[in-house]
Amino acid sequence: MAVLDTPQEAFAALRPACVQLTKMQTLENVAQLRAGLALVSAPALQELQEYVLFPLRFTLKVPKPKQERLVQSVVQCIATVLATTRIKKQELLQELFSELCTCLSPLSGSSKKASPSEELKLTVIHALHTLMHSAYKDVILSLYQPSTLPLLGFAVSLLLGLAEREKAKQIKISALQCLQVLVLQCDCQEHWPLNEDEMQQCGDLFASFLPGISITLSQIITGDIKQGHKATVSAIRLFYLVVGSVMADAQLARVPKNKEKPQAEQSRIQELMVHRGPEWSRSTAEKLSLLLHKVVEFSSVHPHWKVRLELVELVQHLLRSCSQSLVGSFSHLLKALVGLVSDENGDVQSRCNEVLRGIAEQRIVVQNRALADVLSENLHALATALPRLMNSQDDAGRVSTLSLLLGYLKLLGPKVNIVLNSVSHLHRLSKALMQVLELDVTDVKIVEDRRCGPAGSLQHSLLSGRRQKKYFRFFTEEKVFQLLQQVCRVLGYYGNLYLLVDHFLGLYVESGLYRKQAAMVLNELMAGAAGLGVDVLHEREVSLSVDDLKGSIMSILDEYTDQANWYLITSIDAEEIGHEHTVQRPGLAARTGGTHSSILLPSPEPCITTRTMNSNIWQICIQLEGVSCFAAVLGKEFRLLLLSALYPVLEKAGDDTLLISETALGTLVDICEACGYDSVQHLINENSDYLVNGISLNLRQLAHQAHASQVLDTMLRHSDASLLPLVEDVIQDVLSTLDQSYNNQASTFLRVLHSVMTALVQWFCSPCGEEHQENSAAKQRSRDSSQGQQVVTGHEVERFFFDYIQQKQIAEGDLPDTGGEEADEDPSLTKLEPNGSDPEGEAPLPSHAQVAKDVMERCIHLLSDGNLRVRLKVLCTLAKNCGDFLRQRFSKDVLPKLTSSLLSQAPASARAGPVYNHTLAFKLQLAVLQGLGSLCEKLDMGESDLDKVADACLIYLSAKQPLKLQEAAQSVFFHLMHVDPDSTWLLLNEVCCPHQYEPPHASLRPVKLSGMGRQRNEFTDNVLFLLERLQQQESTTPQTGTREASPS
Amino acid sequence: MALPPPDPQFVLRGTSAAVHTLHFSCGGQETDVATLFSGSENGFIHVWNLKTHRVDTALDGHGRRSVYCVETMGSKDRLLSQGRDQRICLWNLAEGRTSVMDSIFTENVGFCRCSLLKVAQERWLMAMAAKALEEVQVLELPSKTSVCTLKPEVGAKLGMPMCLKLWQLSGGAQPLLLAGYEDGSVVLWNLSMGKALSQLVCHSEPVMSLDFDSEKAKGISGSSEKVLSIWSLNEQQNLQVYKTHKLVNAGISDITIRPDKKILATAGWDHRIRIFGWKKMKPLAVLDFHTATVHCVSFSDHRNPRERLLAAGSKDHRISIWSIYTQT
Repeated sequence: MAVLDTPQEAFAALRPACVQLTKMQTLENVAQLRAGLALVSAPALQELQEYVLFPLRFTLKVPKPKQERLVQSVVQCIATVLATTRIKKQELLQELFSELCTCLSPLSGSSKKASPSEELKLTVIHALHTLMHSAYKDVILSLYQPSTLPLLGFAVSLLLGLAEREKAKQIKISALQCLQVLVLQCDCQEHWPLNEDEMQQCGDLFASFLPGISITLSQIITGDIKQGHKATVSAIRLFYLVVGSVMADAQLARVPKNKEKPQAEQSRIQELMVHRGPEWSRSTAEKLSLLLHKVVEFSSVHPHWKVRLELVELVQHLLRSCSQSLVGSFSHLLKALVGLVSDENGDVQSRCNEVLRGIAEQRIVVQNRALADVLSENLHALATALPRLMNSQDDAGRVSTLSLLLGYLKLLGPKVNIVLNSVSHLHRLSKALMQVLELDVTDVKIVEDRRCGPAGSLQHSLLSGRRQKKYFRFFTEEKVFQLLQQVCRVLGYYGNLYLLVDHFLGLYVESGLYRKQAAMVLNELMAGAAGLGVDVLHEREVSLSVDDLKGSIMSILDEYTDQANWYLITSIDAEEIGHEHTVQRPGLAARTGGTHSSILLPSPEPCITTRTMNSNIWQICIQLEGVSCFAAVLGKEFRLLLLSALYPVLEKAGDDTLLISETALGTLVDICEACGYDSVQHLINENSDYLVNGISLNLRQLAHQAHASQVLDTMLRHSDASLLPLVEDVIQDVLSTLDQSYNNQASTFLRVLHSVMTALVQWFCSPCGEEHQENSAAKQRSRDSSQGQQVVTGHEVERFFFDYIQQKQIAEGDLPDTGGEEADEDPSLTKLEPNGSDPEGEAPLPSHAQVAKDVMERCIHLLSDGNLRVRLKVLCTLAKNCGDFLRQRFSKDVLPKLTSSLLSQAPASARAGPVYNHTLAFKLQLAVLQGLGSLCEKLDMGESDLDKVADACLIYLSAKQPLKLQEAAQSVFFHLMHVDPDSTWLLLNEVCCPHQYEPPHASLRPVKLSGMGRQRNEFTDNVLFLLERLQQQESTTPQTGTREASPS
Repeated sequence: MALPPPDPQFVLRGTSAAVHTLHFSCGGQETDVATLFSGSENGFIHVWNLKTHRVDTALDGHGRRSVYCVETMGSKDRLLSQGRDQRICLWNLAEGRTSVMDSIFTENVGFCRCSLLKVAQERWLMAMAAKALEEVQVLELPSKTSVCTLKPEVGAKLGMPMCLKLWQLSGGAQPLLLAGYEDGSVVLWNLSMGKALSQLVCHSEPVMSLDFDSEKAKGISGSSEKVLSIWSLNEQQNLQVYKTHKLVNAGISDITIRPDKKILATAGWDHRIRIFGWKKMKPLAVLDFHTATVHCVSFSDHRNPRERLLAAGSKDHRISIWSIYTQT
């Protein structure tokens, strides 16, 4: 467009319009000038700048009333000129500045005091903006002299007024942006940076406006949300830019102590100037703190994310430039920042993290004691409120509260020790953690879930058993727990580990109420101390040495595995109750055995609630997790601690509570990983000497014998023959211990003896095993044709029990009718010896054979056992193998007791609610029902006995009974169907008969069964199910017997 | 009521033979790992690491014949061992070596443990039962030069020496030797004169073990009887019976006074370790763990008294480690 390049040409073109405008101030003339301007190139216009501006400024200055539109047009025109030219003269700038400002003020000329129109305001603001950009730096700076303070103040107040009171969003925003330019903090890149002195000078000036600006801006920021986020964002930005420049630490530091004596001629102006001395900055900071508090409170929950983002910038800016002057406000600022870490908006979140990391990296906090104090105060306040907040908030609220807590800790970094060294702070914090981490211990299932199957299957359960999810009393969200974890780890990372471990161990010991939580915290502390899984903002200065870690870990482990904390009651099963009980009431079972019906009733249990047991289970699990964690912390160094740690873990791996044993197995895997063992087998094998030590020492204590034997059991299953020299003496110990305690330990030791034998056979019999296997398999077949498939080691199990039975018979003075067996068995023992044994027969047996012999000798004594469970177990095994001998005794002595107890208990279980499933009475009912069927079948019982059994079990087919009992009762009937299908059919049909049976011939009387045509009742479902099964069974097996009544 | 006796702190297994002798070496630098040497019936010397409680090395130098004495000479890198192969071996174990540097052929068929006494830097005296049945020979180590041979007077009928204890009063006085003999007497020998200074019949059975406290000039001996005999040495260097202590079960295979002279331990044929106060022979504890004769007891030489341990080796192949009365 610009075609007139030379000043001469331009002058020629513009002159008429300028002259015209000077003469007649009309819209048309202004428009003409503007049109002319469009044709002039920038350099040319620069030359003519003042010439062109003159008519325009003249128009504004003419003291007669003017049309608003004219003014607007003139201002636009000025802006056009300024946009393409630069101002080089200070006077011109100041004059233009003041003239433009005048346009904004209520028209002074008119008496009506009408406010200018919105368009005009906008135009003037725009022109001012352009003006500030068109002046050179030194020219601009002339505006920022004490002498121009009134002028600046005028402009600032005008613009602030607009920003505050105008309704139009555009004006508000423009006014704020213009102000931003005015305080020399424009966003655009065109400006030259100010040097220190210049900044100092400007800061001095702006200090005078600070009260006005900050109050007004805070009102804008906290004003109606309807003003839109842009205005708020601009206001926030302006706020922090102004405050950040006036209160900048760097500037304040340079302010002289005393105000300079004003020179006489400047005194009026100087009075307006503020001296930013310490006194002033302190009082200003106080006032600003109030405003900041308001601003932060309001905008941190502002619905628009850009406002929150700007708040982050505010915090960052102020923290960076005013970390000393505004220290009093930092608690609010940091709180806002830390709280926004978990903002719902990703941008805010990431910016927030960035800022936090920046703060941490610059070590603002670490090097600033005052800031650290602020943070620790915040932390203290938060810790105090934490339990209440956790109680009252929802999970989202909890997450934000905890991220706040975490943020404080991360920001404090190594300075966190200031907090920890204060007793009250540490106390508050730890109490809060204790309360928040309280576990929910009401779940009955935890107590009830038992380990199924034998102890051996280590590998099998490894896959399934990873960390069990914990349930907390005060929250459900997983994120909350993760945050708590991080809190503890960050504490461990930065904190004084000795202090922390000492404190939390104190809590652990002090109260059972806090024990689980304290253990959880300790575990995480150690992980954090080693830097495992901890997310921090800055590295700590010194990381802990392995010896430090090991020291702490050893003291924690000592507490964990202390008898009082490791052997807790987790079940009310007879075997598990502390053996003290058994010891206290020796012979109890024998005495109650005399009274007829109570034999199967539970003996009075010590008062232990499910909650207590649940809590105990969790405590053990947490401690086990701790062991995992410590192993991970120490890596291969943990091998040294296996000396004391492996035995207790293995002990728990054999625990009957599912959760505990799975956790312990998980721990074993973790230990393997940490210490570099290929497998659990490998771990056990390599450390069997430590285990053996633990076993032999524990065997010496009555209360721990059961555990010790469990560990031995597990160990035997996972080792090979090389272990024998090590365990030899322990096996002897077991045997001698057994010798001393047949009364109460027999059942536990039975299992160990069994695994000893199994292990011996496995280790030493493989060469001659095949022959042996066949031999014994053949023996079995001939003895018991109905025996089903055997598991691989079945013959060994058989052999062991045979021996057992035999001994029992001998012990009772009853030589079995299968007398030949005795002779058969002993050779099988001697077979264990190598074939070429010493001809003299005097040489000592090989050690494994010696052990085997010793075990067998002990079996003799195992028979007079007082424990009901053992007896039941034994009974089934006996029945399986020597039915004839037992039948009579069983039907005479045992059966009546079993059936009568079943009958007497049935009404109770039918009435009972779901809790009944966890009573001992239920378990006994279940055990009896589950065992009775096979017992009857094995013993080949007579008809009358079978009737008794069927009668007793029938009532358990009722739908009112617990489901498990129903199923068990069904199983009894399945067995009965095998033994005597016909009578079973009849019995069932008596209860309920689904079919009508038409007699094949009219002369025969119709079949009348009492179950026919009955209403559907509690038994119907189960009976129909059984009948169906019976039908299937009968149709698949060819029958030889006669069956008049059965339908076909 | 007194506290029940403690359990062993740890039990070392894996010698796979009866343990006949034990010797601690724990007094070295702090970085050094405490070590226990054990000699067993199958001729092996096991070097136990007391941190891991595992065997670091097994030394085989006595032709699979029983090792019944192990001592260190100065540091734990120099070891002396005596075995039923009638040899005394001097080992160099520095930097992981396991070699026999030197050996002495004793030609003695008994099982009398030799006794070692450091008399100067790098100079030891060693007393051992000699080839002739009743004689004791004293050598200087490492030079192996014979210092003297101690022969009982003709017709003394002491029988074989059973146990030896070389000692000297602090201040570098003349080294003296206490020897227990088969006939139950204890004889004090002057080495330079090669002459018996005093003889005391303490037991009617062979003296199995003795230990002597040179500060209190008091010693104790045990035999296969049910009696512990405590005797003292007066200024005229005469041995006198001080008192005797009755035991429940007969047979003491080893007696050791703890280096601080406060307590002593005995290894009993009744499988038990007994702890007594040394001053008044007050019975303090009966440690019951082993399932066969206890052959030897030894106290550790830890610098920190709290860490000090007692070890006992038994015929049941086990070595039990105890931490007892460490606070007193």
